[in-house]
Amino acid sequence: MRTERAATLRVQNLSKRYGSGETAVQAVKGVSLEVSPGEIVLIMGPSGSGKTTLLSMLGALLRPTEGRIELDGLVLSELSEGRLPDIRLRHFGFVFQDFNLLSALSALDNVAIVAELAGLGRKAARARARALLEELGLGARLHFLPEQLSGGEKQRVAIARALVNEPALLLADEPTANLDSHHGHETMRLLRRIAKEQGKSVLIVSHDARIQDIADRVLWLEDGEFKEMRSLATDPVCGMTVEREKAVSAQWEGKSYYFCCRGCREEFLAGPQRFGKATARERE
Amino acid sequence: MYVALHNLLHDRLRFALNVLGVALAVMLVLFLLGLEQGLRLQVTAYLRQAPGSIAVTQAGVDSFGGGSSLLPPGLEEDLRQVPGVAKVVPVLTQTAIFDLHDKKIFAFLIGYDPALGGGPWRIGEGREPRERGEVVFDRVLARLHGVRVGDTVEVQGQKFPVVGLSEGTASWMTALVFVRKADLESYLLTPGLSSLALVTPAPGVAPEALRARLKGLPGVEVWLKSELIESDLRLYQAFFKPVRLMSLIAFLVGTLVVGLVIYSATVERQREYGVLKALGARNARLYGLVLAQALAVAALGSLSGILLGFAAARLVLALRPQILVALEPGVVGLTLLTGLFMALLAAWLPARLVAGLAPAEVFRR
Ligand SMILES: Nc1ncnc2c1ncn2[C@@H]1O[C@H](COP(=O)(O)OP(=O)(O)O)[C@@H](O)[C@H]1O
Ligand SMILES: [Mg+2]
Repeated sequence: MRTERAATLRVQNLSKRYGSGETAVQAVKGVSLEVSPGEIVLIMGPSGSGKTTLLSMLGALLRPTEGRIELDGLVLSELSEGRLPDIRLRHFGFVFQDFNLLSALSALDNVAIVAELAGLGRKAARARARALLEELGLGARLHFLPEQLSGGEKQRVAIARALVNEPALLLADEPTANLDSHHGHETMRLLRRIAKEQGKSVLIVSHDARIQDIADRVLWLEDGEFKEMRSLATDPVCGMTVEREKAVSAQWEGKSYYFCCRGCREEFLAGPQRFGKATARERE
Repeated sequence: MYVALHNLLHDRLRFALNVLGVALAVMLVLFLLGLEQGLRLQVTAYLRQAPGSIAVTQAGVDSFGGGSSLLPPGLEEDLRQVPGVAKVVPVLTQTAIFDLHDKKIFAFLIGYDPALGGGPWRIGEGREPRERGEVVFDRVLARLHGVRVGDTVEVQGQKFPVVGLSEGTASWMTALVFVRKADLESYLLTPGLSSLALVTPAPGVAPEALRARLKGLPGVEVWLKSELIESDLRLYQAFFKPVRLMSLIAFLVGTLVVGLVIYSATVERQREYGVLKALGARNARLYGLVLAQALAVAALGSLSGILLGFAAARLVLALRPQILVALEPGVVGLTLLTGLFMALLAAWLPARLVAGLAPAEVFRR
């Protein structure tokens, strides 16, 4: 028996293999993980490391090849295919990099439709959607189409949509990648507020190092496995997280800077003072 | 379902074009079905209106309008002797070429005895023939060729004064022209002969029973009138076939239009359907969305198509009055069904596309 609060999400030895034979790709290899209520977990890792694959399996969008996923006592990995849509609808809130709003629907309807899918009447669904959007500061944007909203507003609509059926767990894949740093930060603070005020677990997958501030825990995924956190640094030019060992580096005023590529390094060296404030982040 | 509506209305121009495409196809279907129905009505007009429920032709003849039938002399008297026969109406028919001013036209001459019946059932102008050689001309044919009551028309040099114009006797093939039977007999040099005898059973006698009784008569074929009508329609099957083929093509084109429209709209929004699926919408719900869009396009298109079809029928009536486009309730109903079927068929492929979407794809870009 555990003494702590029961975990919202418990993952054991999860693996995913795409394809078979010689072309098979082992995208996720024996990953285990627990997320508690109200906890914000950030999974970082280079492109192609299996982050999206892992998140898809956790969100019941993709069947694992092996392993066990337990959500609020429900063993997802054992459920029949037919039950999964309902689980996704009621137990998860999804937030995507490119927002994925329905382009023909207003902000209000984009949120309301998901409540309706879960069985709420149209009126009640709209009322709940309206309340949520107002809470997220979008009261003046209810009847705007997605194309009329800014990126940050779109992501807030998407977050309202993710919350409308009161799920226990929010899953977000690169939620800030399409936002400028101001709106990215705003989005992250919003997610943090939701986690802390409403006790929702939040699992974020990203390679944006700026998110680390708001996370309770940061995990590093590489080649489909969780690894020791390496020594990471933020590219002062493009903001990407880079591993010091593999990155291109440069010295300026006695400090080391790390870059995702030569292009960024050259841009930095052309005028280091422009990037001077962005110091390399150290991680052990 | 308002998602479907919003999706459709999001691009109004395309929506309007789609509805127009469906409307044109449906119009064509309606028009062609009406045309076919009109052809049938014209071909069977005489028999449907003629008196009696039993028709007697020469043995071996299987139609009224197609072949030339001659009944054995004295048959009418024999028929009248059979118990259960209330009335016998003999008619003599012949296809004739009329000389109208400088034009020659085909018409179907029907010789009848005005005292017995079997003549025109609706006279729009003038009267039935009384005197020697008088004819009642089809009104549409008369109008097309400038023939009026009081004019004289010619068949191989013989003159026939026009004393009346009949309605409901037009045809895209050979319109009906009525003449006294005795006059037609003398013109054809076949005194006392008939092509067809129309028999009315006595009250209380079933047509089938009477027909069984008449079957024994030598040299003749005894029909229920309805059977002879069917047989006539079979004879004209060759004319209906191309019309029916065209209706089928119009249907297919219409289906293709709705199908392409809905398919391309679905492909365009493929990602959004995937998103709905990822968020937890079941396939059935997504089929519903696709189908609702197809139905909306088809319904609006069908209704406008039917209006256009009526307009087209009007136009044809004005330009080619000998062609009947019969837009009866049955034909309109069939067209509406066609529109519905178009929508279902058109929604099928997009629905399969949606069903095949993998929800995990939403995370891919
Ligand atoms: N549907 C798929 N079929 C085959 N291979 C895939 C599929 N999706 C992802 N992969 C592979 O799995 C690995 C992990 O991909 P992904 O989970 O997208 O990583 P990340 O999100 O960290 O960039 C990559 O090598 C990718 O090419
Ligand atoms: Mg990814």
